[in-house]
Formats: sequence, structure tokens, C-alpha cells
Amino acid sequence: MTIVFCCLSFSMYSQDITLKMSNVTVKEAISALNKLSGYSFVYAINDLDTRKIISVSANKKRINEVVEQIIIGQNVTYRIKEKNIIISPLKATSDASQNFHKLTGQVTDEKGGSITGVVVKQKDTKNVAITDINGNFSINVPLDAILDLKILGYKPMEYKTNAQSEVRIVLSEEVRDLDEVVVIGYGTLKKTDLTGSVATVDGKNMAKIKSPTLTQSLQGSMSGVSVTRSSSAPGASGTIRVRGITTIGESDPLIIVDGVPVSNIDDVNSNDVESISVLKDAASASIYGARAAAGVILVTTKRAKSGQMGIEYNGSFGIEKPTRFPEVVNVTRYLQMMNEMTWNDAKNPVGGDYAVYSEEQVNNWLQWSKENPNQYPNTDWAKMLINEYAPKQSHQLTASYGGENIKSHASINYENTDGIYDYRNYQKLNVRLNNRFTVGKHLSANVDFSVLYSENHSPSVNPIETAYKYPAIYAATWADGRIAEGKGGGNMYARLHYGGFEDVSGTKLAGTFSMEYKPIKDLTITGLWSPSLFYQNGKDFNKQISIFDADDPDVFLAYVSGAENTSLYEERSLRKMATKQLLANYSTTISEHDLNMMAGYEDYTYFNETLAAHAENFVVTEYPYLDLGPIDNMQNSGNATHTAYRSFFGRIIYDYNNKYYGQANIRYDGSSRFHPDYRWAAFPSFSAGWAISKESFMQDFSALSFLKLRASWGTLGNERIGNYPYQSLINYSNTLFREGGIVSSSTTAAQVDYAIPDISWETTETWDIGLDASFFDNRLTICGDYYDKMTKGMLLELEIPDYMGYGNPQQNAGKMYTKGWEFQIGWKDNLGKLGYSVNFNLSDYKSVMGNLGGIVFTGNQIIKEGSEYYEWYGYVSDGLYQTQEEVDKSATLSATVKPGDVKYVDISGPNGIPDGVINADYDKVLLGGSLPRYQYGGNLSLDYKAFDMFVAFQGVGKQNARLSVDMVEPFQTSYTTPTKVIEGKYWSPYNTEEQNLNAKYPRLSYQSATNNYQMSDFWLMSGAYFRLKNITIGYTIPKKLIEKAGLSNLRIYASGTDLFSLDNYPQGWDPESASNAYISRSFSLGLSVKF
Amino acid sequence: MEMKNIKILISLLIATVITGCAELDLNPLSEGSSKTWYSNEKEIQLALNDLYRTYLWDLEINYGTERWTDNWTQRQSITEYPAGIITSEWSTVVDTWANTYKGIVRANNILNGIEHAAGNVSEDMMNQFRGEASFFRAALYSRLIFLWGDVPFYTTELNIDEAFQMKRTSKELILQSIYADYDVAINYLPVAYGKTNKQRITKGAAMALKARTALWMSDWETVRDAAKACMDLKVYSLYPNFSEYFLSSTKDAAETIFALPRSFELGESWYTKNFIPRTAGGSSVASPSWELFCSFPCKDGLPIDESPLYNPRKPFENRDPRCSATITEFGTTFLGYVYDPNPYTTTVLNINTGTNVKNKDTRSVDTYASYNGLVLKKGVDQDWADDLYMDADIIIMRYADVLLMYAEAKIELNDIDASTLDAINQVRARAYGVAVTATDKYPAVTTTDQSQLRKILRMERRVEFAWENRRFYDLVRWRIAEKALTKPIYGMLDVAALKSKVINANLWFFPGTPEIDDDGIPDFTAMYEAGLIKLLVQRNFNSRQYLWPIPSKEIKINPNLTQNPDY
Repeated sequence: MTIVFCCLSFSMYSQDITLKMSNVTVKEAISALNKLSGYSFVYAINDLDTRKIISVSANKKRINEVVEQIIIGQNVTYRIKEKNIIISPLKATSDASQNFHKLTGQVTDEKGGSITGVVVKQKDTKNVAITDINGNFSINVPLDAILDLKILGYKPMEYKTNAQSEVRIVLSEEVRDLDEVVVIGYGTLKKTDLTGSVATVDGKNMAKIKSPTLTQSLQGSMSGVSVTRSSSAPGASGTIRVRGITTIGESDPLIIVDGVPVSNIDDVNSNDVESISVLKDAASASIYGARAAAGVILVTTKRAKSGQMGIEYNGSFGIEKPTRFPEVVNVTRYLQMMNEMTWNDAKNPVGGDYAVYSEEQVNNWLQWSKENPNQYPNTDWAKMLINEYAPKQSHQLTASYGGENIKSHASINYENTDGIYDYRNYQKLNVRLNNRFTVGKHLSANVDFSVLYSENHSPSVNPIETAYKYPAIYAATWADGRIAEGKGGGNMYARLHYGGFEDVSGTKLAGTFSMEYKPIKDLTITGLWSPSLFYQNGKDFNKQISIFDADDPDVFLAYVSGAENTSLYEERSLRKMATKQLLANYSTTISEHDLNMMAGYEDYTYFNETLAAHAENFVVTEYPYLDLGPIDNMQNSGNATHTAYRSFFGRIIYDYNNKYYGQANIRYDGSSRFHPDYRWAAFPSFSAGWAISKESFMQDFSALSFLKLRASWGTLGNERIGNYPYQSLINYSNTLFREGGIVSSSTTAAQVDYAIPDISWETTETWDIGLDASFFDNRLTICGDYYDKMTKGMLLELEIPDYMGYGNPQQNAGKMYTKGWEFQIGWKDNLGKLGYSVNFNLSDYKSVMGNLGGIVFTGNQIIKEGSEYYEWYGYVSDGLYQTQEEVDKSATLSATVKPGDVKYVDISGPNGIPDGVINADYDKVLLGGSLPRYQYGGNLSLDYKAFDMFVAFQGVGKQNARLSVDMVEPFQTSYTTPTKVIEGKYWSPYNTEEQNLNAKYPRLSYQSATNNYQMSDFWLMSGAYFRLKNITIGYTIPKKLIEKAGLSNLRIYASGTDLFSLDNYPQGWDPESASNAYISRSFSLGLSVKF
Repeated sequence: MEMKNIKILISLLIATVITGCAELDLNPLSEGSSKTWYSNEKEIQLALNDLYRTYLWDLEINYGTERWTDNWTQRQSITEYPAGIITSEWSTVVDTWANTYKGIVRANNILNGIEHAAGNVSEDMMNQFRGEASFFRAALYSRLIFLWGDVPFYTTELNIDEAFQMKRTSKELILQSIYADYDVAINYLPVAYGKTNKQRITKGAAMALKARTALWMSDWETVRDAAKACMDLKVYSLYPNFSEYFLSSTKDAAETIFALPRSFELGESWYTKNFIPRTAGGSSVASPSWELFCSFPCKDGLPIDESPLYNPRKPFENRDPRCSATITEFGTTFLGYVYDPNPYTTTVLNINTGTNVKNKDTRSVDTYASYNGLVLKKGVDQDWADDLYMDADIIIMRYADVLLMYAEAKIELNDIDASTLDAINQVRARAYGVAVTATDKYPAVTTTDQSQLRKILRMERRVEFAWENRRFYDLVRWRIAEKALTKPIYGMLDVAALKSKVINANLWFFPGTPEIDDDGIPDFTAMYEAGLIKLLVQRNFNSRQYLWPIPSKEIKINPNLTQNPDY
């Protein structure tokens, strides 16, 4: 009998039930379960509230679990007898012999926040309670009961009541990546159900990295998503590349925020981010078809959750300091090196060593400068122009309310950052309001609104480069503090302080109204309308600065160069964009088949109009307004452009038994940029997945929690090439004529660009194979992808002969082949009270050009058949010439080449053999790729009791970088100062032969600069680096200390970014810094308060 | 909400989305389309206007080519051309090539598209437009064949495939087409436009530019005939005062044949600081060279190494008046201050205040004062110094050039007659401010010996057109760059040595007289070897530079093109 019962029981419980319903009545759920499984409920009317609204989410669950979901929160228990579920009041089953009492309690997370909706169940019974919006629950249990607590997102917990009547239970968060829901194009999907390559980041990590922009927070956070930056100036961002370069023009990924395309990901504040998904392969991205070739980044902003209510403040204060700053030689060395350079260029005549500065001047300058600094200046330009550090601060307020019918989340962010030189400041204000209204069972609407206001203040000059280029022998100020002459009137100090300003402010307003309608079960129709506006104001006020004599303040000498007159330039632009969508989504489950179908329409319009006005020769220089400008020197200009897209798309997602997955997408796109005959194109994709771990033969591998193989193929398009490329435009300018005794201005017109009338879409075709695996109860996760991408009809600005008289037009030229891989590994566990997680990602790709039908030159780089994308292109060097005989025997680039100059190899000539001269036509070769390889990143996070810590790092494994002329070329503009980089390491007639043999840099010469600093392998170096991106340490103040103040949570933290890097770059240069810019490290202290 | 209401709402939503479909047929909002252009007088005018833009004339502007010649000294630096280091990637080569062809294709487009306007525009007007476009095409192709020799040549609309098939056309063939274009211009353009109309290109300009092209190609008969035709128009004459002619205030002179006006108010002006003495607020970066200074003959018409009137201690005395009109004479007032580079003169008079100020034009006071003691005078007046900007006309062709081209052609043809001498003497007499007939007041040229006249004419061109961008072309076509631009640039000794070796030895200013050879090139070697002057920087002209290299890019993408020799 027992055996029979067991068998029965087994067979009964083994039946999997899949039932998904949300916001239905208990009655509806009961009847659905009945239809699905044949089980009927037996109950007394008064025992069960059948009108209660519940949700059921069961995926191949046993019947008892489904029943528990249906009767949740009701004071009843149940028995299953054959196909009947017998409901009875809880009291009836309670054993009177047991000593029941009422237990009340609160469930919170580790930070003290209450958790709503936790299922609190007396172990091994059907006795259940659910926490309310404050995390409170009450339940009748025996004195020594064991409670089972369960809620998605937290680790399940058993709690012994130990006869307490009031308890506080803390649940720890569980990040089980594979259960996560991932945002995909026009929808969401469980991570386990993905068949394409999608990388995701949790908004929490974005907020932890205290980067000024979201772009920079993404650096190193995902494999295959590379972020490069070249400046830390306030407001500066970075460049995002998904799986490398896709096309020549814009390779910026498409950014979608809450379903709507936006121009800049940094419009979203890091603190507002709920999650970010990056659609990397063609299968995932092709639902965005024509604009997705460079990848798609989906940003979801925070919304109020059911039952959530609270107000939160986050604030931080910090400073920024350049990681490194170039240093220059001292004044005496400057004089000596200037003499040596000039002497070299005069062919080293005997006795001509003191070619510019006399021996007396060289030896005594320092001394004399103390006595007569006006005539013998010794100016520390860097110190005068660049500050030690720049302060910054940020504040954020958030309020959230998650009611039954209205859910609202509002936030205000304010940031204020200074630059490392005076008058540089950036302020940004973000306001975001996300609302959800639910009207009855069928209709709901999201109404979102955001405002971004930013102000960028700069002086009219950027002094960074000057700070390490101006020699000390030119005075910034006279001894009495007045503005001095500088270098022949060039005085950056004067212009920084008195030269006016450049201000840009912008306002972006965006609204989204989207309405969801569910006419029948499983079908959702969504309409979306999202207009946005962007206003930008620019004002450049350049002020006249006079220089007066050092000795006589009344004697006017000249105006500071570039500040000869006072002028004002104002620009106003207006941009209007609108996105419209109409989507239909049908989702159903028929026994073991899950099917989701989606069809949609979208269009997008863009319009931009700019007007500008300029006036010069202001007599009064205090008021930066145009009405004070003389009418004689006023000029106006204006222009406008517009573009539009229209798209139709559809998708089918299918899975069988959560084991076999398939997905197909198609998008049909039209763009106003092409001629009507070449305007439309379709972009299909297919993908499949196999959850191997679900197979019965895999059940013996207990260490394996999940294993899935994915494969995809798809095509994507690109068309970002100017607004009217198929039309030959007439551009206007103006010129002067003498007319009736005066000079007048006349309009001119000319066709400037060559038009390609049949220009059309560029297409990218991608294969992707990927593997997702997790082990040891999902503690170890691994994800890897290999892809093979081909770009066809690539939109290239192929060189056309200059004698055609036009700029290089975009053409659907050639092919590019990209192969790459990505790997991501993570481990997450607890060691007692120490929770920790480690993540690491690594990726690489290489793009090789196929037949292009032409060449693209970009200065020192080239794109041609067989080359890598942007491969270095230049001469092959053979060290430095040591003797005149060596020079005489060699082919040279110019007649001025002398010992100490860079020697080049004569590669070829017009007849294909070396021709005895070095020239650009035949002796330049490919010198290796210029793009970073083996990019990696990772993070470590720890929490122990009230302490938490987060460390992020990032780097590049291999890169051919060029020592830039700023680093190594002395006297770039004949007078600029050499940097310390070359000091003692250059070839010199004063050196011994042996010293010269070991010289790293060529001789000092202005005339030979065109020889020496040509692009050649002489200047290539390893650009690999490792960078510690961020360390944050936080402490959460114990709750009992803050409760009296009415706070529910208080955390303080200290954070440092870009603290150090390991690299090969010369002293004073950061691996990421561009010219005339700096990369800064920052230190900040912050606090977050929840009320 | 009622189901009915929901349905209405949904229908409205759908209707909005669908009816508001984004329009895809979008045309430019702020630009025209070339498909329909050139259809009326206004549009053709606007297109022609583009050819007057200064980017097409870069080499003619602001000493663009002068700085490559032996008329120029810029402290101890030297430009790429005299340094002998120009390559097929030199920016001037690349930009001049590209910009010149831009002008050509725009002229071609007008000449090929003008038929669109047939019926809308009178035939006379159409012809005048044709003449104007032809003029520019001719002038631009002339530049190409002078600088590069054989070049890609076309007058039709090229598509990309045709462009990649192009080879270099021989310059002789191109020259015939240039002449034909000039003749169209000469035929159809008016002699003048009337004072109140826009001063566009004229018949006389087409004649003069045709003469210049022929001069570059040493086609002497064409030079003679075109120059003569221009002279015979009798609408041009020399401006009476040589110094005044070049000032910003002198506009619209009858000497000017082709010029591009500038206007400070309309945003076209030029920053002059590098050419103004330091005491007067400039930075004195570039100066007339000593070679130029020594090329002005003495009042007897003889070169300084032959004339008894020349005194190297007082180098401005007894010289052709153009000497002190071109280079600021020591001790005279210039821009409000007395100019004197002597290191013992540490203060100079400010004429406006009557007080003495620091003399920043001597290197004993200011290290960066002129390295050879000279500063430019020609064209410079208080207008330059006031705000360091000037807006004088960019003179591309003036009548003196026509006269000297005519004379040179007659000399080279050995067809020397009174008109030959008269042409030179007109120019010279104007320099002295006297009538050509007043031969007692200036050293009139009388010899009819071809080789003597050739030397006189070459000296005359150098001093007449100093710092007017003509020297570069003359150095190249006379093939004397290899001599003139391989000599070092000299300047004064450094202050201490200058005082002890030169001034204290009573050798100021010039410690000797250079010898001037048959090509008019002074030689300072003896003074340098005596240790009395300083070698500032070496010149290294390489004779391959008589022709410029075809830009490297063009050869790389089109294997049909060959590079000029030795590049």
C-alpha cells in the first residue's frame, strides 16, 4: 500500500505544469489550471477569496507549487487527492496540541531596506504569509517553528523562530545571472533563453564606478565592448566600439534608451541605470537592422517596483588630478639645445656653437633672470597655466512610489566639475520622471519625461599644450605682474586670464508616451510616440589684450597674438527628433512549446537648424552681446538638414522544453539618405540554442549547473554618411569685388563634392558561435563567443584623384573581414560573512581589408586591400646615421640628411626595384595594425558585514603605438621647448661615438624634422597597458545608530579612479591621453542616505 | 474604462502612427542642387564668383612664394623649398595641386553647364560668361604646367572611371588649349565694366595673363604680341608714385590689371606683425635679404660692385629710389620711431611723443631684432602698425609687369628697338618719379646689346617686383635657382663680435662690397671668410625642384601617372 501510494505520488508530482498568468483573479487561475491539467479545486466559498488578484509563473513546475502560488496569502491549506485539490481553512488542520502563537516580523535586505512580497512559510506545512510593502508579515506558528523565506533575487533562507514573537530577518541578495531577465530589442528575454550574443551590465555596477560619464563607466566592463577615451576634461566622454570597427565612418553603436534611439549614451546618468544590454552579434541586433551594424546598446532606466516607496540621496565630493603631465628641459638646457639645433642646421661651422645665444647668455641666464626677469625670463609655464587639482561634486535625489495603479520614479542629478586650468567648468542637471499607469486589466501606459541641461564653460583657449611647449625664456608677466610680451606676443597666460570665454549650454527635452493594450490573453499591442528637442547655445567671446612696455606702463607695445581685437560669435541650434512605434507581441505556451511572435513598425525623423552671428572690433569689451558690435564687421550664417527612416520588422522566438531554442528576425528599412531606387533593404537573421545541460545524459555531471551552445547568422546595415550623398549639392560661400569705389561681398556657388547617385546600404554579415556555462550551483559562470564578420559594399571615402577637383565621395566600395573572440569568466560565493565576486573579460579581433577598389589614407595610416583596418603606413627605418660616409652611400629622403638623422630603407622604385631615393610613392610600407588588441577588464567586489569594496581594472594587451611628435620632436615650431623625454638620449655632435651609437632619438634639427619625424617604424612602441580603474570602499552605518534620525540606510564611501597604470609610455604621457588633453585620476568621498 | 473607449483610443493611436509616417523623399534645405544649376544669369554669376575666391590664388598672396627666394631672410630658419627638402607629400604641393584642379573643374562645369541657360540669357552675356570661365581655366592650367610640366588635362566632365584612366598630357598640348581659352576671353570680355559695377576680369587682364603664361614657357613671340596688345588698349598706366602704389590706401589704380580686393570690414585682412619693426610693435621675423639689398643699382644705373657712387658704410646713399622704398633706411622715421639697428643705439626717438624709448630694433636690446639689420618698407605704413592688420589689394598683375615682359620678349627675340628700351625706361623713370623723357633725371637704358640688356632687365625685374611673388617664377624660368638658392643666408655678427669687429673697426654697416655676377647674384663669401658677417642658415636647393613632384597620393592610386625626375 505504501509502495503503491509512493508510486502514485511520484507519478502525480512528476507531472510538470507550465502556467504563466499575471494579474488575474484566483478564480481565473483555478479555471486555467483545470483546463491545463484537469485538476479541480474543492473549497467552501468563505474559505477562499477567489477575486483576489494574483500572478502565477510556473515553468514545468509540480502541481503543489502551482497551487501554492494560487492560494498564496490566504489563510488556507490544501490536500491533493487524485485530480482534486481540497482547500480547507488553516485552523482546521492545525494541531491543537501544538502551542501556536502569533509571530510578527520584518524582512529586510543587507542594507536595511524592506523587502516586499517575500513568501514566509512554516517549513513543511502549507502555512504561508507574505510581506507587505514595509516588509512586515504576521503568521501563526508553533513556538519553535522553522520559517522558509523565498523571493526571487534573494537567497532562500530557513529561520528558527526560537519562541520569539517578533523577528527581524535579513535576506542576502542572490545574483543568479542565468535567471536574469535581459532586455533585448523591443522586448525582454530570460538570459537562459538567449540565442544571440548579448552582454549585460547591472546598473548597480555602473553606479559603483564613480566615472563622470556612463561611457567611461562601461570601460572594461564587458567583453567585446571597448571604450577608449582621450581626455578627462570636464564633460569629455569616450568612444564606444562593439566588436571593433565595423565601418569607416561612424562606428558608434546605436543607443536605445527605454526603447527610443538617442544620440548620446551620456544623456543618461549612471545612477538612473537599471541595466544595460549590448547586442553584439547580428542575430541579436538585426531587429534594429539598418542602424545596428556597429552594435546596439540598450539602456533601461529605473522604474518604481511594486510596493517600493522611498526617498534617497546620494552625494559625493572629490578632486581630479592629471595622472601625468609632460615635463620640459630647464632654461639653460633650452638655450644650449637651441644653439645646438641652429648650429646643426648651419652645417656645424667651426666656432659656430653659440649660434643663437652667446656663451655669456647661456652661462648666466639663470643668474641674470633673478636680477632682471623682464629681460631674462625664466617662466614656469606649466605652473602658471595648470592647477594642481580640480574639485568636483555630484548630488542625486530619487523618489519612488510603487502603488497598484500608479508607479512613479523621479530623480534629479546635479554634477559640477572643474577643469585643471582656471575658468574651466562643467555643470550638468538631469531630471528624469518615469511613470507607469495601469488602467484596468487591459490597458497600461508608460509616460516618461527627461530633461538634460548642461553648461560647459571654458576660457577662449586651451592651455594644456602650451604649458609644455612654451620655453621658459619668454615672460608671461613682467616683474610687476602686468601682462608681458610672451613669445612675440603669444602669451597663453594672458589669454587664459583676460582673453574671454567660450560657453556652450544645451537643453535636451525628451518625452515618451507608450501605451500597452492587451485585447486578449497573450497578445499585447504597444504604441509609442517619443518626441525630443535639443537646443544649444554657443557664445565665444574673444577679448582684446594689450601689452605695455616692461619699464613704462604707458607705452603700448602690441596686442597679444590671437587677442588683437574683441569679437563675439554666437550660435544657436535647434534639433527636433521623433520616434514612432507600433508593436504587436503574441506569446503563448502550448504544452512544451513556447512561442513568441512580434511584428512592428517604426519611423524616425530628424531635423536640425543652426544660425550663427559674428561681430568684430568691439569698442567696449565688457559686454558680450552682439548689439555692441560695430555694424561694419557683422556676419551671419545659417543652415539646416533633415533625415528620416522607416522600418518594418518582425521576430519569432521559439523554444521546445527549455532545451532547444530558435529565433528568426527580419527588418526592412528605408532611409532618406539614398535615392528612392536604392533606398530599401531587408536584414534577416537566424539563431539557435541548445541547452545541453537539460539533456538527460548530462544529469550526472553534478558540478555543471547550466550549459548552452549558441549559433547565429545575420545581416545588418549602415548608412551614416552625410545627409544627401546621392545628390550633387551646390555649396555657397562668398568673395569680394570692388564695386563703385568700395569693396563689396558677393555670394559664390560651386559643386564641392562628387555625388554617387546609386549609393546604398552597407551590409555586415556575421556568424557567431557561443557557449554559456555555469558550474557549482551557478557560482562559476563562463561565457565565450567566436565571430566572423564580413562587411560588404562598405561605405568608404575612397581616394579619388585630386585632379578631379572634388572631395573624396563615399562609395559602396569594398569588403572587410573581421574575426574575433570574447571570453568572460566570473566567480561568486560567500566565505562565512565575506561575500565576494570576481569577474574578468578578454576579447580580441582583427579586421583585414578585402578588395576595396581603391585606397583610403588617413595621415600615417592606410586602408587598402590586404592591410589591417587603419594599419600604420610609413617608412622602414634602419636606425640613425652615424657617419657622413654612411649618408653618402645611402638613398635619402632629402639633401639635408646628415649623421644623427633617421635612416630609411630604400624599398622600391617606379620599376619595382630600389631606385636610390627614398620617397613616399614607393618606399612606404605597411607597418602593422594601429588598433588595440587583447582588450581586457574585470572587477572584484567584496562585502563583509557593514563593509563593501569594489575594484575595477582594464587594459590593452597589445598595441602598436606611435611616439607622437609632441613627445619626441624638439623645436616643433622652431622655438617650442624640447621635453625631458629626449634629454640625454639624442644623437649629438657633442657626444662620444659610443653615446651616439646608443642614442634613442635623432639629432636636434629643424631642417631635418621632415625627415626624422616621418611616420616610420622608428617611432613605433608597445602601447599595452594595465590600468587600475577604480577602487571604492564603503561602510554602512549600523541601523540602530541611524533609526532615531528617521533614516533607513546610511552608507559612506571613498572612491579613487585611474589610480595607476603599468605601461611603456614616456615620462609625462598617459597611455590614453590625446594631444592638448589630459587624463585625470580622481579621489572622492560620498554618502548615500535612504529615508 | 469601457471596452468601447479603449478601442477608440487604440484606433486613434494607430491612426496617428500610420498617418504620420516619416517622409523619406528629403531634399537639401540650405543648399542648391547641381542638376538644375547654371540655368539663369544669377546662377552662372554665382558660379563664376567662386573663381575669384582667394584659395585659388594662394601662391599670389602675402609673400606666398617670396619666402622661398633669395629676397627673403627669416632669422635662422628656412622654408622647405630653398632647404631642398620638398617631397611629394609637401603640403604646398598637395594643396596647390588640389586647389588648382578644384578651380579648373568649377570652370569646366560652368563652360559645360552654361547651355542650360540658353534662351534665358542673351547670347552676348553667355559669351561674356564663357570668356570669364575660360580665362580662369587658362590661368589655372598655366600654373600647373609651370609648376609640374605635363599634367592630367581635361575640359569635359569626368567620371571616376575616366579619372583613373588619365595620364599626363604634354605641356605643349595643354599650352595650345590655354592660348585658345585666353583668346576666347580676350575676344568676349569687355575692356572695362564701368566704375559703378563689379570689377570682374577684363580683356586686358586676359592679354596680360596670356603674356605671363607665354613668358613662363619662353614662347617669346606670344609674350611680345600679348603684352603689346595689352599696351595698345591704352587703358593702363604706371602709378606716378612707386612707394604709394603699394599702400593699403591706394585702391583702383590704373596700373592694376588683375587684383583681388580685401576689406577689413568684410573679414578679409592680413596679420602683419611679423614684418613690422619691434619698436613699432611688430616682431620683425622676416626681412628683405642682403642679396636683395645689394641688387638695387646706384643712381648711375650701375650695380654696386661697379658703381663709384656706392659706399658700403652708407649703403642707402646714391641708390635707385626703389631701394629705400623697399627697405627701411637707417636713421629715418618709420611707423613713428627712428629705425636704427646699430647696437650702440640703445634708445630711439618716438616721433609722436618726442621722447626716447628703448630701441628694440637692435639686437643689443632685443635678441629678436632683425638678424640682418633690415626691415621691410614696401607697402608698409601706419595702417599696418595701428592694429597689425592690413587690407591692401592682392595684386596679381600690374602694368609694369606687362612692360617688362614685353621688353624681355623683345630682348630674347633679339628684336631690340626703341619700344624695348622705352618699356624698361618707363618703369625706371617712374621709380625716380620723373617722365620717361627726362633722361637726365634718371639712368635711362640706352644700350642695345642683347646680353647687357638681358642682365639689366633681370636686375630691373628683381628690384621692381621685390616681395611681389614674381622672384620665384623668375628664378625657375631663368634656371638660376640652383645658384641663388644654394648660397647661405648671411646676417650681422652677434652683438659683442659685431661691436668689436665691425662697428669699432669702422666697418658698419657693410664691412665690404659683394661681387655681383652676370645673373645678378651677390656673393658675400669674402666677408664671411674674413669673419665679419654671420652665416645664419644654409640653403640647399636641389635642381629637381625646378619641377614639383606630383602629389604622392595621385601616383599611388593611379599607376598611369609617372613622377617627375629624381623624386
